[in-house]
Amino acid sequence: MKLRTKLTLFNTLSKLVIVIIFVLLLPLLIRTLNKIYTDNRLRKDEEKVLQTVRSHGIQSYIQNGESYGSYTPIKDVYVSLDEDTLDEHIDTIKNEPRKVEGDTILYRILSHNFMVAKKNYLLEVGISLDSVNETSRPLQSIAFMILVAMVVLTVLADQIYSTYVLQPLGQIIKTKLIGQKFPNFGSYKKIKTSTSDFEYLDISIHRMIKTIESTFQKEREFISNASHELMTPISILQSKIENMFEQEDVPDEAKTRLLEMQRILNRLKSITKTLLLISQIENEQFLKEDSVSLHELLAEIYDEISIRLQDKNISYSVDVPENLVLVNVNKFLMFNLFFNLINNAAKYNRENGSINIAAALEDNVWVVKVTDTGIGISTEDMPLIFNRFKKLRASLKQDSFGLGLPIVQSIAIFHQIKIDVRSEQGKGTVFKLTLPDFLMKI
Amino acid sequence: MNVLVIEDEKGLADELEIFLAKHNYLCDVCFDGASASEKIAVNLYDFILIDLGLPDYDGLDLLKEAKKHNPEAICVILTARAEVYDRIKGLDLGADDYLAKPFSLLELHSRMQAITRRKFGLKQNLAELGGFIINLTDRTISYKGNEVSSITKKEFDLVAYLLLHKNRTLTRSQLSEHIWGSLINDDYDSNYIDAHIKNIRKKLNAFAPPDWLETVRGLGYKIKTGN
Repeated sequence: MKLRTKLTLFNTLSKLVIVIIFVLLLPLLIRTLNKIYTDNRLRKDEEKVLQTVRSHGIQSYIQNGESYGSYTPIKDVYVSLDEDTLDEHIDTIKNEPRKVEGDTILYRILSHNFMVAKKNYLLEVGISLDSVNETSRPLQSIAFMILVAMVVLTVLADQIYSTYVLQPLGQIIKTKLIGQKFPNFGSYKKIKTSTSDFEYLDISIHRMIKTIESTFQKEREFISNASHELMTPISILQSKIENMFEQEDVPDEAKTRLLEMQRILNRLKSITKTLLLISQIENEQFLKEDSVSLHELLAEIYDEISIRLQDKNISYSVDVPENLVLVNVNKFLMFNLFFNLINNAAKYNRENGSINIAAALEDNVWVVKVTDTGIGISTEDMPLIFNRFKKLRASLKQDSFGLGLPIVQSIAIFHQIKIDVRSEQGKGTVFKLTLPDFLMKI
Repeated sequence: MNVLVIEDEKGLADELEIFLAKHNYLCDVCFDGASASEKIAVNLYDFILIDLGLPDYDGLDLLKEAKKHNPEAICVILTARAEVYDRIKGLDLGADDYLAKPFSLLELHSRMQAITRRKFGLKQNLAELGGFIINLTDRTISYKGNEVSSITKKEFDLVAYLLLHKNRTLTRSQLSEHIWGSLINDDYDSNYIDAHIKNIRKKLNAFAPPDWLETVRGLGYKIKTGN
């Protein structure tokens, strides 16, 4: 899961939890608030009445011992004052029902008794609970709405900010990691960010890639220089051997040894040339401007290789459309790619075996398959076949130094051709080349 | 024929001189660009072999000078730098051929001969071997007017190479380098030369026994001619 998605998810969930808790607590909260508010009001009303009593005497409410009662027309508030017989002091606020003109209404009632002129009076101030609750409901919904709005707002704000703050990370991943081939020798742009962590990450990636690049570059230069430098001494040795071979006074026995030296020198030469070729391909010193008919290319390869096929009586078949043309390729390299594949197919084949080369469209992409009936590649050897100088157990018997497939791979990478290998031991191997569109023309 | 060898590696220059002298060329050898430049300006050569990687001179400048003072000379570039770029540049400037080090002396000789043939338009390049007529221009072998049509390109290359170096034993390595040398190959086995020779003998035998194509036991093959 992406970091941003995770953050958004956490944000939303945590806020949802807050909303739920708040919604659950809201009625209680409102009720408490209401109670405090109502009680305050009752106290104030009580104070007003007592004030009146203090300044104007009890007579302003009670004359002739009649009790006083007053309520608003819709009976939501009432005040009553009466003589009281109880001795104990009362000062409570309670919810109690009262019968007013035949209606039983639940009130929140403040009861307070006091003594004026040696008489006990009981004062009651009540507010109907209905009217109290009436206000609490809209209050609740308003509070809820405000809460939801605030949550939505903060989620949005979080989202926008996290997108903004994570943008450099996304850029680092998109431009420097995804789909990048290592080593990549392109120039590196610094990512703009004010977050020091990302800056550090960017710089670290930068440095690591630089290190990898320079190591790769050094290795390539070394191989290229070393193989170049080896060419001249090999050339001198070869000439010396050739001249000695021609000398009449050299006995046959010495000539046999010279021959042996020549063979070994040829091997050295072949390895050096191959390494040089691979380094030249990797340094992109070849042009990709040739067009060549695949059919003709395979026919040319057949000319080179037919003697090796005859040796084991291997049959060779080509199922390639004659009008299929490879474009934007290097002919020399493509020749080498197919030559090495087919040469391997012949080398590791059995007597009376066969080699088939077929080109076909698979899901609108051109695929060339080189199929042989050879000894196959074991599963443990499979990951190693493209490694330089890796001699596989199967190839030990053969006169090979393990550079054929590395050449094939370098050429394929250079042309952006994908190679898949399927093999069954004892049955044969299929090399499947997937060619990008820009290499094919019909 | 006069040859100027410009090669800073003394070991190689010496061997080139020995080889070319043996093949009746008159050799001048220079180890650096400055003396080569003088020689080019003063003498006339039929062949100039230039090593591109000279310590004191750009080999391509030398090539320009050679073209100026010795316009008739055949220039062959020898280099350890087998880059495509150099190749194109060298041939653009009028080099007649290009040999990447390490090369075989026999290959050099064969190239020099081929360029001479091409340059001087030697029309009929025929050789007669035990009744077989080998036509190097048309690349055909015939016996009493009948063409041996089954001979493949590679087989003809082998015969022609042996013929060029007639009376000399060529090893399997030398032969395989000639016919497969340009291929970058994982294995350098020269065993297939035997198969090729076997095929050639079989095809020629249908007309007459090719006794002139000899196997030199333990060493290789040669074409033997009377003269």
